[in-house]
Order: sequence, then structure tokens, then C-alpha cells
Amino acid sequence: MKWDLNAVVLGMSVFLSTNALAAVDPEVLQQAIERQENELKLLKQQLATMAQQQQEQVSKQQEVVKTLVQSEAAKSPWSRFKFESYGSVNYTSDEYYDNVQDTRPERRGRFDLERIVTEFGYQFTDEWDMEVEIEYEHGGTGSALEYDGFDEFGEFESEVEAGGEVMIEKAQLRYRPNQHFGIKFGNIHLPIGLSSILHKPNQYLTVLRHRSEAAMLPAVWNETGVGIFGEYADFHYQAQVISGLNSEYFRTYDWIASGHQKRFESVNADDLAYALRLDYGSFKKGTAVGVAYYYGNTSGNRHKSNKVSGDGSVSILAVSGAYVEGPWIVRGQYLYGTLSDADAITQANKSTPGLKPGNFAQLGSESEAFFIEAGIDLHHFFDLPLTVFANLDYANPLADVDSGSATKRYENTWTSLGVNYSPIPEIVIKAEAGRQQVAVAAIPDTNFFALGVGYQFSL
Amino acid sequence: MKQLKYSAIALALISSLAACGGSGSDDTPVVEPETGFSFSADEMIVNLSDDVIVSGYSILADRGTALLLATQTLVATPTQANLEAAQAAWKDARQPWEQGESHIFGPVDSLGIDPHLDSWPLNTTDLQTVLANSSGFDADTIKVWNDDVQGFHTMEYLLFGDGVNNNVKSIDELSANERDYLMGLAEVFRDYTRILADAWLVSHDGKSGAAYGELLKTPGTNGNTFYSSQVGVIEELIKGMIGIVDEVGNGKIADPFGSSAQTADTSKVESQYSWNSLTDFSDNIIGVRNVYQGEFTGEADKQGIVDFVSAANPELATRVGREIDEAILQIRAIAGTNNMPFRQAIQDTAGRVRVQKAVDALSKLQTSLQNEVLPLLQEWQGK
Repeated sequence: MKWDLNAVVLGMSVFLSTNALAAVDPEVLQQAIERQENELKLLKQQLATMAQQQQEQVSKQQEVVKTLVQSEAAKSPWSRFKFESYGSVNYTSDEYYDNVQDTRPERRGRFDLERIVTEFGYQFTDEWDMEVEIEYEHGGTGSALEYDGFDEFGEFESEVEAGGEVMIEKAQLRYRPNQHFGIKFGNIHLPIGLSSILHKPNQYLTVLRHRSEAAMLPAVWNETGVGIFGEYADFHYQAQVISGLNSEYFRTYDWIASGHQKRFESVNADDLAYALRLDYGSFKKGTAVGVAYYYGNTSGNRHKSNKVSGDGSVSILAVSGAYVEGPWIVRGQYLYGTLSDADAITQANKSTPGLKPGNFAQLGSESEAFFIEAGIDLHHFFDLPLTVFANLDYANPLADVDSGSATKRYENTWTSLGVNYSPIPEIVIKAEAGRQQVAVAAIPDTNFFALGVGYQFSL
Repeated sequence: MKQLKYSAIALALISSLAACGGSGSDDTPVVEPETGFSFSADEMIVNLSDDVIVSGYSILADRGTALLLATQTLVATPTQANLEAAQAAWKDARQPWEQGESHIFGPVDSLGIDPHLDSWPLNTTDLQTVLANSSGFDADTIKVWNDDVQGFHTMEYLLFGDGVNNNVKSIDELSANERDYLMGLAEVFRDYTRILADAWLVSHDGKSGAAYGELLKTPGTNGNTFYSSQVGVIEELIKGMIGIVDEVGNGKIADPFGSSAQTADTSKVESQYSWNSLTDFSDNIIGVRNVYQGEFTGEADKQGIVDFVSAANPELATRVGREIDEAILQIRAIAGTNNMPFRQAIQDTAGRVRVQKAVDALSKLQTSLQNEVLPLLQEWQGK
């Protein structure tokens, strides 16, 4: 390099000196210039080649460092650890009735630290991993005080929810040798109901999770058991054998949902249940259609198991679909369930000391619910991360009864309009306003309003 | 060094805790407490169990049977006289039930009988649906339905009408389907009152378990997992009295009463169709008097809670007796000179003054029971 520069300087001085001495012959001068120019061209070429070589060397070095860092990182346990969290805080303002005679609703606003969920996992090997999800509901303590306005004079009930307010929502081990097949066991999520699949705040448009599903199924349904799963092309399948429900806690207003055994330290497992799901596409990623089926007996899991002679079998069919393409978001789900021996269970629950379901004892032999939400992501049209949506929820946990006629008091329809605003992708701020209609003509429609903030992130 | 520090902290904590807990008794010379009394509770407990509680539930069961008979007669021969007889039978059944609310523990609670018999408010919208869509009501079907379309108040609504302007109903206003439903309801009612009486008299769980009356009478004996001592029994009885005084004063009366005539809510008045509310409330407190005195009104004197209190403080015993009578009087006085029902009284200026007096009397009684009678258990040198 140094030598080259010297040569240039030398050449220049030669040129200058020849110029000074033999300025008389233009032809000679011309030749001299050409010679010099060729010389310069050559030098420039050499310079370029050298720069290129240098560049290559630097990138080669970078490559070495990168692979070194990667191999070091792979040895660190942190590379196999994952941590995720999501949560939401809501404000709701809705109208309520003081008692069953009351037809003049009163408005009540409420704040709720709905849930904070932390999830951590560890990838032991390429095939084996584990995941634990801990949920803190409503701020998270062991017991909650509930106001039961439908009871005599309104009753304050202290409901101790053992493991209900701070609870393990998932604790599973997975073995997944390939894409086609995996097995998981422990406390696993049931693939029944879309909220088990889409439960992070940015995965649904409404402020609260869909009310239709909450009126029929346990929210983010988890049970202990074993399941297989996998995918072929765009088909995803799941099949599970899990702990069943306990019919002692079935109630009129949410059908089998309260039968989710989480009140006790151990789960009665004399009756097991089975769950199947088949999806085409992925609900988590966007567009998909799917069908799911749940079947299980419940009488064996009663603490007083001699009260009901029938099986009390629950079957649930869920059909769901989602179309998420460009600015368009449409999701929907239809749930249909049947319960055998509904009258026998009602009678047993009414006459079991301490259960006291009171006016909530009667059970639907059939139950039905659906929702459809549709949104437009305005970000596709304007520089604004805003989605507007419309939602329709319908639930009738007492669609039919074994004998007599079912009251329409629990048949509810919620219609609403709202927005989702995401200042950054990890945060969503929601607002929703709508109307609740009870199918009883004597009960006036009520309006509700809700605000919510949700987040999710993963490390 | 670290260990030493922890030990020092622990020591400091223990000594300060000891100082807190033991103040007055550990540091100063031991003084025999001046309070403390002896009383033999055997007779009182047996008497209250047999002659007040069990006897009350037996009367209720009998009147349940009488009410069923009255409705059967009404269905067979729907005349105005038979309707009025059924109305009277309903009021007769109401009396031992309301008086029994002063001791609403044991089977009535554990078997969940209360909501089956006395759910309030009534679900009138569902009741209309049931009547419109069903017929030929039998007891087994009705038992499966929700409690707010059966029991006392559903029968009351069918027997007396809506109670807004009056509590009379003519037989023409009672349809055949309504009469059938009434009869089915009365049968369900009879069954539950029978189960309740049997639980006290025969077996508390309807199987091999002892009668609840026996369990109450034999605290501390082998196999009695319900009551380990007489203190427990007397505590249950006193707390039962406090419970109903609280419910009448702060629930049954105060809830509909509101803070003004404008905020008074007649929809919350219990037994509003029959205009029996004031009778209900005074019967509730008469129930308290039954337990306190140890006998039903007008019967020969037997041992009751009053004898227990008297052993400790005769003056208090007399005063509480007076306060019970005063509460009953003030409740009855709400009706005024023109026999105003409670439903109307809470919206009437003079009526509200009378209601407030009753609430005050109940509140005074509750305070005495809670602050003076209940603590006697700790001073009682017995078991």
C-alpha cells in the first residue's frame, strides 16, 4: 500500500518534470499522458481489489465470531427457557336487577383486575419440553366474597375458591418427536371452546371473553390427563383422555361450567372424559375451521355418589371458524350440549346437605350457545392501529329440560360494537358498548359499556 | 454471629408477645374473677329441644298436611268458602314456620329445607310461564323446578292475589290450572315439612343417624359429632335468637323500608300478597320469646334461656324479657289504628315513624343479646 502511493507520487513528479522539460512535442506529450493514465487505471484496479479482499476478510471474521457466540449460547440453559405473560384490566358498567321480581334495573360500574397470567417453559431436548401457566384472577387470593342478589334479601356468600383465584392453569410435559405426532400430559388445556385456544387479549375483539362460552363451559378449560396432537399438511388434530366433571356443582346459569373440579385439593377421577378436535388451518395464526367433541360421565365424581343412579353424561359439540385475511377478521363458534339425567341431578343437588344451589338447581338437558365477532383492521387503510368490531353472543344454558318447561330467564343475547386500539403490538386498549336482552318479555333490555386494557409479551 | 442475631430477635419477639398476651394476669397477683355463675342446663336443653323446637316442627308438619287437605278440597269443590279455608290453612302453616326461624339450625339448614319452603322473592315471571305451559302438576315434577316457583310464597300468590290494593281473592279469579298447581305445591310442602319433623324426631339424615333432637339433648356423649358440650348447644340457641332478630330488623323490615318514603321498595316486602307481613315479623320474635321463656305463649312455665341468664344476672334476665315483648308490641303497632299493612306503612309518613320505632326496639334487643347474653357463656362454670 505504501509502495503504491509512492509510485503514484513518483509518477506524478515524473509527469510534471517531463511536462516542464519537453513541452514542445504535443505527440510525445500525448503519449506520455496516455501512459500515465494507463498507469493510474492499473493502480485504481489494484486498490479496488485490495479493498474487496479486506472486506471479505472482515466478514469472514464476523462469521467466525457469530458461530462462536451461537455455540456458546446453545450451551447456556437460558436458551431453552421461555417466559410469557399476558393479562387484562377491565372496567364494566352494566345494569342489574335487585331480585327476581325487580324489573327496574340499576346501573353499577365495576373495575376488575381480570387476570394476570405468567407462563414459563423449558425445552429439555429437541423432543421434550414442559410448560407451566399460573393465573392470578381478580388480583389473586384464596377466597372471594360474592353477592347473590337472587337469594332472600340478597345474600353475601363467602366462597372459598381453593386454587380458584391463584391457580395453575396448565402444567404439562410434552414429547414431540416430529410434526405429525406429539404427546402431552399433566394439567392440559381442553381444545373445547375457542377461549381455550384464543385467550390472550389480542386474540379476541370483545373486552370480556365471550359471554356465550362462559355461560356454558369452564373458562379456559383445563383438566388433568393425557393427550396426543399433531399436524398433517394444514390439518391439526388433538385427542385427550382427561378428568371429568362433578355434577354436584352444575348450576342453572352456567350449565356444566361450575362442575369443573377446582374447589378441592384433589380431583375425583372415577369418571373420565374424552375430548377430540380437528382443525383445518390454525386459529392462533388466523384463518381456520374446526370441530370439537367432548364426552364424559359425571355421576361417579360426585362426593355423595349414591344420590344419582344415572351416568349424568355430558356431551358437547363445538363448531368454530375464523377468517382473518387482510383487514378482515371474522370469528364464530357454535356450542351444543346435552346432559343425561338432568332431573335426577337437579333433585340430588337440591337434597344434598350443604350444596344449597337454591334457585340455581334446575339443569338443562340441552344447552346451546354461539357467538360471532367481525372486525375491520383500519391499519390497512389509514396510519392508525385501530380495529372496529361488532359482536353477537347468545347463550341458553337451559335450552331444554327433562320435565316441565324451561324458564327463559337464562336465555341471553348480547350485541355490541367496539374498538381495539394497539399503540404497540403488545398492548391493546378496548372499548365496547352494547345491549343485553333476556328472553323474558317482562324483563327490560339493559345496556352495558366496557373498557379494557390488555397486554401480552414473550421473552 | 448471624445465628446469635436471629436468636436475639426471636427472644425479643417472644418476650414482647408474652407481655401483650399476659398483661394484667401474669404480672399482677392472681385475682379470682368476680363474675362466674353456676347453672345446671340439663333440664333447659331437654325442654327447649322437645317442647319448643321438635314440638314446633311437629305442629308445622301437621299444618302442612292440613294445608294439603284444604287445597284438595278446593280442587274438588272450588267454592269461595273452600278458597277462604285454604287461605286460613296457609296462614296457620305460616305461624309455626315463622316462629321456628328463631332456631334455624340443624336439619332445616343442612338439608336445605328453608329455600324449598320459603324462597323469597317469588319469581312471578317464571310462575306465569309455568302456568301457561304446563298442566296436571304432580309433586315429583314440581320438586325439580327452581325454588322460587314453589313454597309458601307461590301458594300465597295463588291464594291471595297480587296484594297491591287488597288481600282478598274471589274464586272466579283462580283458574283450574292454578288450583291444580296449588295442590301440587301443597303436596311438595307437606313432604318437606314431614322430612324436617322426622329429621328432628327420627333420624337427622333420614337413614341410620340419630334424631337431631337427641343429638341436641346429649352433647358430649359418644358418637355425638354435632355437639361436644352444653356450651355449644346454648351458644347455638342464643345465636339463633340473635340471627332472627337481626334478620327481621335489618333485613325483612329495613330492606323494603329504605331511607325515605321515596326509596321504600314494596317489591321486597315478604308476604305482601296475603298482607301477612306484620304477623310474620311478630311471629319471628314470638319464636325468640319461645326459646327465651322455654314454652309457647300461654303454656305453663318451663326452663328456657331466661333461667340461664337469671342464674348469672336476674336483672338482665328480666330486662331482656321486657325487650322481647317490647319488640313484638312495636312490630304490631306498625299497623296503627286503621290496621295498615306493612306494604303500605313504609310509604306512609306516620307509618314510617312507627316502623322506625320497631326497628329501634329490635336493635336494642339485638344489642342486649349480643353484648350481654352471649358473653355469659364464658362466665358460666358449667359445660
